[in-house]
Amino acid sequence: MTLASDSYYMFQRWMKKLVRNPILLFFSLFQPIIFLVLFTQLFSSFGTLLGGINYTVFATAGIVLQNAFSSAFQSGTAVVDDIKSGFLTKMLATPASRASILLGRLLSDAFRVFAQSLIILVLAYGLGVFPITGFVGYVLILFTVAFFGLAWSGISLALGLRTKSAETVFGIAGTLTFPLLFMSTALMDKRLMPDWMKSVSAYNPISFAVNAIRDLIMIGYNWNSFLLSFGVISLIAILTMGATIYEFKKVVS
Amino acid sequence: MPAVQVENLVKTYGDGTQAVKGISFKVDDGEFFGFLGPNGAGKSTTIKILTTILRKTSGLANVAGLEIEHDAQKVRKLIGVQMQDTVIDEDLTGRENLMLQGHLQQMRGEELKERVNELLKVVDLGDAADKRSAYYSGGMKKRLDLASTLVHRPKILFLDEPTTGLDPQSRAQVWSYLKGLNQTGMTIFITTQYLEEVDRLCRRLAILDHGEIVAQGSPSELKSEIGADRITLGFENGNPGTGSLKDKAKQVLGSLGGITEIVDSDEGIVIYAKNGGFLVPDIVRAFDNAEIKLSSIGVSSPTLDDVFLKHTGRRIRPEEIDKSRASGMFGRRRR
Repeated sequence: MTLASDSYYMFQRWMKKLVRNPILLFFSLFQPIIFLVLFTQLFSSFGTLLGGINYTVFATAGIVLQNAFSSAFQSGTAVVDDIKSGFLTKMLATPASRASILLGRLLSDAFRVFAQSLIILVLAYGLGVFPITGFVGYVLILFTVAFFGLAWSGISLALGLRTKSAETVFGIAGTLTFPLLFMSTALMDKRLMPDWMKSVSAYNPISFAVNAIRDLIMIGYNWNSFLLSFGVISLIAILTMGATIYEFKKVVS
Repeated sequence: MPAVQVENLVKTYGDGTQAVKGISFKVDDGEFFGFLGPNGAGKSTTIKILTTILRKTSGLANVAGLEIEHDAQKVRKLIGVQMQDTVIDEDLTGRENLMLQGHLQQMRGEELKERVNELLKVVDLGDAADKRSAYYSGGMKKRLDLASTLVHRPKILFLDEPTTGLDPQSRAQVWSYLKGLNQTGMTIFITTQYLEEVDRLCRRLAILDHGEIVAQGSPSELKSEIGADRITLGFENGNPGTGSLKDKAKQVLGSLGGITEIVDSDEGIVIYAKNGGFLVPDIVRAFDNAEIKLSSIGVSSPTLDDVFLKHTGRRIRPEEIDKSRASGMFGRRRR
């Protein structure tokens, strides 16, 4: 199977590039850590408003998702680099499977989000956050986040392939991150939102994923919310992958 | 069976630009073939089509006897491609770059490891093999790039200006590798600005201008077609430009016999004449009478440079291209 082996070698390349740029890794983890340590302290009194709970426990799901969201946006810029340097062209001149070029990158994005989320969860554990669903909960959380990261990388990949400009991808990512985050249940329960925001957040895909993860941390197994989140993420994945494949074909031909 | 066979090849880009306008040529198996032309002539487009990176608009193109679009996968296994810019992954070591390339060419295991070791030695990167290629010099990067196109032992090697931007020493080294590869039977298809090397190494060449082939043949054939010596005239006050001085000078030259052709060049005027040496005193006298001051006069037997100038009206000057390319690379973001 050349698709599988080619994708593996592409994946391996991205992994090497990732660990050899530790500064990049550090800065992308910096923001979620600040949220985890400082933001949750600053807004700890929300816990009282939410019925006497620990706000850090509440916000962890949102912070993990936020990290996945912003990490996934770096995918497009990496592809822009490959287009500009000619590396993409060089790969296209080999018999390597075309799909593996995208698949290898997406797998590396998912893996990266998985690893970063694990780091955040370990830190959160130190701050007293652990899912009541225990070990299985951790596994389910990590897979949900990784899947979410994979789906979102599609947007950034499609944007990168279309605009061929890292600045544009960054610009759009930066513009989208906070509005989407704030208009979701990532950092606040919907009960404390103004009505209009409540309606927006009910349709915000981030909310679905956050709710599923939060349930695993705070409530227990809620298969309804879990399956619903996978449904929503799958839908996003289909849309973003469709757009990515469409743009990729245009670049390749 | 020819290594490359192209008939009426056309490439029209989406925006309507016709980059290649129905060219035809053939490269024999084992040939060292030069593909020359000014910037924007369509060389890179042609290479991209022949290496299956770009789709052709119409026409026939076979590589190693295979139709390039129908048998693209097979073609990719038989060719090596070096692009205009040096393309390596600078986050990876030299060895890792070669291993990746081998893996993408579906090579595996010990066979690949040995091949990579062998190539690292060939391009003198044995000592630096496990260093990150970001720390390589320009010449080392180019050599690594070249090695990465050879991992799978291609039958035909396509090179788009492989020595542009290199210092003279690295350049000579690359040319000597290419010569060696050709001697092992590899077909080499190369675009370059270095006409002296083309003259020395290429068995045949084609000159492309505005998407059309304007000349093809062996270097000696093309030079003898000129059939005349070249006399280069420089004028005082530098470049006479398009001003009346140049017109006046041409008038003066027109009155002299024995001149086959008068061509404008950036430095002044170039004329072609049989037995050019004998004409020099006449030229000097005529200009003296017309009170046009010459700053230089030179006579040489025809070179590929003249062939190029005759067919394209332009002259290749690698040094300037080097400079512009170098600054372009400097401005690029490194990964």
